[in-house]
This record gives sequence, C-alpha cells and structure tokens, in this order.
Amino acid sequence: MPVDLDNSSTASGEASVSSSGNQSQPAKPTAKKKRSLPGMPDPDAEVIALSPKTLMATNRFVCEICNKGFQRDQNLQLHRRGHNLPWKLRQRSSKEVKKRVYVCPESSCVHHDPSRALGDLTGIKKHFCRKHGEKKWKCDKCSKKYAVQSDWKAHSKICGTREYKCDCGTLFSRRDSFITHRAFCDALAEESARAQTQPGANPNSESETKVQAVDSSPPTPTPAPAPAPVPAPAKAKAKAKAPPAPPQSTSVISSVLPIKSPELPENPTQIVEEAPVTTGLNGSCSSTNSSSSNGSTSCSVFASLFASSTAPASLQTPQTPAFTDLIRAMARPADPPTDLPRQSSTEPISLCLSTSHGSSIFGTAGQERRQYAPPPQPAMSATALLQKAAQMGAAATNASLLRGFGIVSSSSSSGQQDGLKELMMGTPSVFGPKQTTLDFLGLGMAAGGSPNSGLSALITSIGGGLDVAAAAASFGGGEYSGKDMGRSS
Amino acid sequence: MMQFTEAPPQPFHQMTSFSNPTMNKNQIHRTRPWPGFPTSKSLAGSFGDANCMEQLLVHCANAIESNDATLAQQILWVLNNIALPDGDSNQRLTCGFLRALIARAANSGSCKMLAAMANAHSNLAMDMYKFSIIELASFVDLTPWHRFGFTAANAAILDAVEGYSAIHIVDLSMTHCMQIPTLIDAIANRQEVPPLVKLTVVTAIQDVPPILDFSYDELGSKLVNFARSRNILMEFRVIPSSYKDGFANLIEQLRVQNFVYGESNEALVINCHMMLHYIPDETLVAIPTSNSSLYYGFECSPSPTSSLRTMFLKAVRSLDPTIVVLVDEDADLTSNNLVCRLRSAFNYLWIPYDTMDSFLPRGSKQRQWYEADICWKIENVIAYEGLQRVERLENKSMWVQRMRNANFRGVSFGEDAVSEVKTMLDEHAAGWGLKKEEEDLVLTWKGHNVVFATTWVPA
Repeated sequence: MPVDLDNSSTASGEASVSSSGNQSQPAKPTAKKKRSLPGMPDPDAEVIALSPKTLMATNRFVCEICNKGFQRDQNLQLHRRGHNLPWKLRQRSSKEVKKRVYVCPESSCVHHDPSRALGDLTGIKKHFCRKHGEKKWKCDKCSKKYAVQSDWKAHSKICGTREYKCDCGTLFSRRDSFITHRAFCDALAEESARAQTQPGANPNSESETKVQAVDSSPPTPTPAPAPAPVPAPAKAKAKAKAPPAPPQSTSVISSVLPIKSPELPENPTQIVEEAPVTTGLNGSCSSTNSSSSNGSTSCSVFASLFASSTAPASLQTPQTPAFTDLIRAMARPADPPTDLPRQSSTEPISLCLSTSHGSSIFGTAGQERRQYAPPPQPAMSATALLQKAAQMGAAATNASLLRGFGIVSSSSSSGQQDGLKELMMGTPSVFGPKQTTLDFLGLGMAAGGSPNSGLSALITSIGGGLDVAAAAASFGGGEYSGKDMGRSS
Repeated sequence: MMQFTEAPPQPFHQMTSFSNPTMNKNQIHRTRPWPGFPTSKSLAGSFGDANCMEQLLVHCANAIESNDATLAQQILWVLNNIALPDGDSNQRLTCGFLRALIARAANSGSCKMLAAMANAHSNLAMDMYKFSIIELASFVDLTPWHRFGFTAANAAILDAVEGYSAIHIVDLSMTHCMQIPTLIDAIANRQEVPPLVKLTVVTAIQDVPPILDFSYDELGSKLVNFARSRNILMEFRVIPSSYKDGFANLIEQLRVQNFVYGESNEALVINCHMMLHYIPDETLVAIPTSNSSLYYGFECSPSPTSSLRTMFLKAVRSLDPTIVVLVDEDADLTSNNLVCRLRSAFNYLWIPYDTMDSFLPRGSKQRQWYEADICWKIENVIAYEGLQRVERLENKSMWVQRMRNANFRGVSFGEDAVSEVKTMLDEHAAGWGLKKEEEDLVLTWKGHNVVFATTWVPA
C-alpha cells in the first residue's frame, strides 16, 4: 500500500490549480458560495488515502465459509453469526468513533487534497469511478455510458420515459399528463384548425395521422410544427395578475394593514392613558379613525375581543418614541388622504377597518390571511421597518414588543425555547401596566382580574408545555416575579 | 480466505489531522443553521406538536362558541405566536385554522362591522388565483389526490361501457373535466368502432376553488376538438344546475334524455368526483328549496330524515345508470358541533400539508395556490354555518350506506384499475399507498385514508 505522507502536502498545491482549471464542480464558486462545495471535512477527522486498487476492491471482507464478500467488516461479522462462527463487533465508544474522511487517489483531482476529502468510502469510490474510471456501462437505448453501475441502472429506469412532447414544447414523462395537457393546449387547436382549412384534406384522416405522429415518434416534431401558442396563455396571465377586487377597497386594506392601533378611539374597555397615544397616532390613521367611529357603538364583542392586547401596545407607545415614529413612517406613505372623503361612511370602509382590526393584533396572521392574493409589498417593508426600529436602540422592551406582534425572525440566536421564554418574560414589561405582573398574553390585567381563571384553567388542561404551565402559574397569580418564572422553566 | 479480521482495515494510509485555519472557517460556514429557520423552532418548542395545537384550537373554538371573547382572544394570541404561516406543515395547518377561527369570531359577533368583515372574507374567491385551462391541468396533475380517482374511475368506466355504441358521461367533478381527456383517449384506444360520446356537465361551481379563468364553452370546444383528434365524435352539453338544490335541473334534463335514448344502445355513466359532498345533507336543518322535490317528481316527502343528498342519489338510481363512480375525500365534516368538526378537519387536512413538500418546492406559485385551496376549505368548515358551509364531507362508510339505501350495489374494481392506480402511485412520493377495502379502493398517505373510490350499479 503506498504510504507517502509528503504527497499530501504537494497535493494541496495541485488541487488548487486544478480547481480553477478542468474540474467542473468548483468552476462556479461565486454563485453557490462555499457551502455547496463537495468535500469540506471536519478538520479533526482522520484522513485516509487508499490506492486505486484497494479503493476499487469491492467486498474485501470475505466469509471463510461461503466466500461471500462484504464491503464492511461489520457486515461480515454480522454474517458470521449466521454460520455460528465467532464474531466480533466493534463497540461504539465515544473515544473510538473518530471521523474518517477519504481522499481521491488521483493526484490531479481536487479531492486528492485532504481539505476536500469526502466523508464516506462509497462516495469516494463512486467519485473515483465517475471521474477517473472507465465508463463500461452502456445504455442500450441511448448509448449513453456510465462508469458506475448504479448510475446506469438509474438512467435505464428513466431513459425513454420522457418521451411525450407537445408541439408547444412542453415535455412530459407520463402519458396521462401529456394527454390531459394535449387536450387543452392551444397547439392542438391550431393544428386541427389548420387541418380543417386545408382544401381537399379529409379532417378525420388528417387528425389521425397527426395523432400518430405525436404518439409514435414524439422526439421528432410533427411535419408542420405549429407556431408557439403564445397569445392565449399570455393573455390569461395578464388577466390573472390584474387584481379582480375593487381597487379602492384593496388599496385601503393594504395601506391600513401595517398600522398597529387604529381602533383605539372607539375601544370601550380602554380606560386609561389613551389620550396621548391617540394624538400620536391620529395624524397617520385618520382614515380608519373617522370610519371606526361609525361602528363604535354597536361593536362590543369584537372590540373587546381584540382591544385589550392592542391597548397595552398603545401604552407602550409614549415610552418609546422610536416606535411611534415608526408607525407614523409606515402609515404616511401608505395612507391615501385624497380617498378619505369618498369613503367616509359606506360599508366598504367599515369592512376595511375591520380587516385592519384583525391584522393590528395578529400582525403576521393578518397579513397571511391575504395569502390568497399575492403578498403585498407594504406589509413586508413594514416588517423591515419594525426590525430596524428594534435595532435603532429602543432597548429590550421594544424588542419584546416586536415579538409580541409575531415578528421574531430576527432572534435567530435564541435556543429552542428561549424565544418563547423571552417572549413571555419580555412581554409584561411592555404590555402589562405594572412591571411585576407577568402578563404574557398582553391583557392588561390591572383593569380587571376576572379572566385569569379562565386562561389558567385552559393552560392547565393543556398540560403539555412546561412553558405554558409556568406562564399560567405566573399569569393567574401574578405573584411570581420574572426571576421565578425563569427558574421554573 | 478471511482477509481482515481486525476492525481498522490495514491498507489504510493514515494521516494525522491537519491544522488548516481556512478549514475551520469553512467548518463554521457549514454548521451554521439555515437563516430564518431557527425562529420557528425556538418558538414552536414545547408547543410544536400537532396535539397541542389541536388542543389550543379546540379551546379557542369553545371560547368563541361560549362568547368568551377574552379567553378566545388570549388563545388566538398564543396561537398566532406558535402557528407561523411559513413554519412547518403543522404550523401552517394550525395557521389556517387560526385564520378560520378569527373569521368565525368576527362572523358570530352581532355588530354590523363584523358582518361586513365576514362578507369581505366570504368573497375570498375574488382574491383567489384564477386558473387557465392549462394551468389547471398541470395543477391537478401534481399529486395523486385527484389522479387516483381519475385513474380508478376511468378504468372502471372503460370496463362498464364496453360494447355500447354511445356513451353518455355525466361528469360531476370538482376538477372541471380534467379527467375527461384521458378517458376519451382510453375509449379511443380500446374500442374498434369508436362510440359516440356525450359529455354532460353542470355549470361550474363558481364559488368553490379552483376558480377558473375560462368559460365552459371554451372548455367544451377544446374537449370536442381533442376528441375529434382521437377520431371520436363528441357532444358537449352544459346544464345550469347547482349542488344547492341537489342538481334538480340536471336530474330533470337527464330524465328527459333517458326517456328519448333509454332504449337505444347508450351507456349512462354518472361520474361523481368530489362533488356530491356539496349537496346539503341531513345536518343542514332547513332544506332550502322545497320545490326541488317537485323537480324530482317522485314521492320523497321531505321528512327530517331525508335530505337533498338522499334524494339526489335516489333520483340518479331512477335513471338506471350503467355505472356510477363515486370518488370523494374520506373524512366527516358534517357535524353541527364546531369542535367536532374542527377536530375532524384538523385530523384530515394535515395530509395535504404533509404531502406538499413531496411535490411542490417551498415558495412556488403552485404551492401558494394549493395552500390557498386548503385554507379555503378550512375556513368554510370552521367559520361558516348553514347554507354557506358547503364542505360537507362524509366518510366512505356513510356514502356506502347511502348508495345501498338508494338501491345500488357495489362493484369491485378490476385488476386493470388496481394495477393502473399502482403504476400511477409509483410516479409519486413514497408516502402514497393503495388500500383495498372490500370492493373499494382507498388512496392513503402514510397509512391514513385520503380519498376513496367506489363503483356502483343498480341493484
């Protein structure tokens, strides 16, 4: 077995040369970044170099009884059990499991460099065959050659199956799909239209021959290839892109969406501390405010349903000017003031308003509800703005407020449950009227303590998540401090 | 003989690990988690499993039903934080239910504003993607969900219509005739003297997805044209009729036709593909159109036990069809109890979400359409009541009972049908399976029933 240690040091130099040259895999590193480069082994792994012969020797572990060969000693040992022979399996102790990586024996190959070694023996074997071996497996149908038998097998399975080609250029691997497509494709309509207009041609026989042409010799185009059927699908797409809903209301919906607390003025459960907020928001949300006053008297269930969690949000606002600015910033470009008079007290308006209700609390959910339509850009930029605001320095409270609205994607560093914990623990400082109350649902418990029992009952009955239970405990009693909760979960 | 008994193979040339600073950098690159994913995991954490999500949804539904707005809101808030619309399949499923519950909370309020909001959302169809014919064809082709029924039904129909000089196919299908081309093709290939094919469909269900961007005239002319290219003469007819009155007009028209052509050598095929569950069942208390029983024209007194669904099947039976194929989704969403329905829907509709990764890449347009369709269903089941709630699935056993009560007899699928379905399933993800239950075929996903296919003849 060739054991030349110094080869490894020279190999790296060679590898870097060849990587810029003939090797196709690393030829486009800029597009795909380093992650997709094959062969980036653990630096602690044991690098193993095998000679081509050893590498290619399959089934090197042979049973002395039946001469059956195995690729791995472990497998042979298991096999020996069947012969009632003594067998020995290596115990997997943590010390012994040292990761092995394998380099390609071909010195001109990038994978000859230990830094690009491949992680498993079969992998390096196939690599060596494919890149540096003889292609001795040939497909009977298309004469394509393969060096690895499994590649050839895989190809043989699908070779010739993608044989259905419509005149429009679409390829199909299944006959059913092709037939269905063919029936509705404009290519067929044009074809038969031409067939019918041809003077003296019998339409029936004509279409029949066409069918045969399509079915029997699919790769070759039919005698008179139809022009690409562009018009109809293009038209369809254009039509589909145009928003079908009345433009007025949709524009209002999307523009109002990012605003967090538009329904404040009519909120009946909110008793304290509204006034500064309302003034802060009025300028930007005037369109919704004006219309919301219409429905304020009759709307009791819904308001109370959604109000209490927005209310604390508004409490938060005066403390963090950055956030208020943010809301203004979001609202300003989206708010079409010229539309206001027209929409003052009609149904569509209240409709829009209620949409904003939902979304104001359920930040992401509200947006996603309109996933039926293409996602609106304003919502995205609002999220970005929120994240930016969080960075801009409004400290921990602000960040957890943002979490409260479901915008958590920035907290990628947090562990499995940390995000949730943070969410629970961070929220009270924002939402709760008192810092000590753990009010992770954002309910403003100081107003009235009655709903507590309901939720704790709920959460107890769920009984699943530790976090929930912990939160419920603190939630229901209100006597736990944040520290307690941190410890308990 | 035995060459290497020692565990570490001898010929290995071993090197000590090398220390290359750039390697370590690369290593960091590789082990860094995907951006965007950890959040959902960290949030989902303890909440993540489907059972807990279902529990929360049930509690929320109870709170909404008992008008406990505060509690409902609390749970909605929690759900909103754990059910990420771009999370894993369970989270997205829960998100769909969450939205439906919000819509329901809005619907159940008495104030005008909420009613307006409900209206806004019942018009979701307007926002939904409108398919062109070609798009719909490839969309339906993505998954065995519909193809299973197509394949099984076509094979059964082909067997049943052998020897007839005319075949009248009544296609009651949610997929807008997407099954027909392959059926025409099979008929053209099979029969030496091509029969006359009459295709009758009912006006498109405009308010149920998939929504079309084309007219049935266009559809019909394409189908007729295609049939001609296969040397088959086809008549295409659209009858304005709706599931809302049990397709009364269709039955009426068929009855007239049957009277005319009944004696000739014409097969009547009733192909019901995921359409019959829209017909009002017994749990819909008020039968909307009392005059539909007049249409039916035979005595079925609208007793509390009878329903349009029952009446429709009896009416079909009275047409003496050559074969009836009934394909539908195997779940029960008829309960008048919201929580029952929610549980049932949750324990069925996870399947489309779970299958999605096997045939649609994340972020693809078609995936959005597909999810929107499921969300529409969820919302219809959860947020609506009465006539507006049209997704009234029933289990296979229930349908079997109904068919038997209507004096039909079940027929087994032939070996051809089974093998064709198997071949079709082989082209899709490994999770799909086929189960034979007595005479029927059932499409399964990871062992759970998804869609059943049954064939019936007059007893």
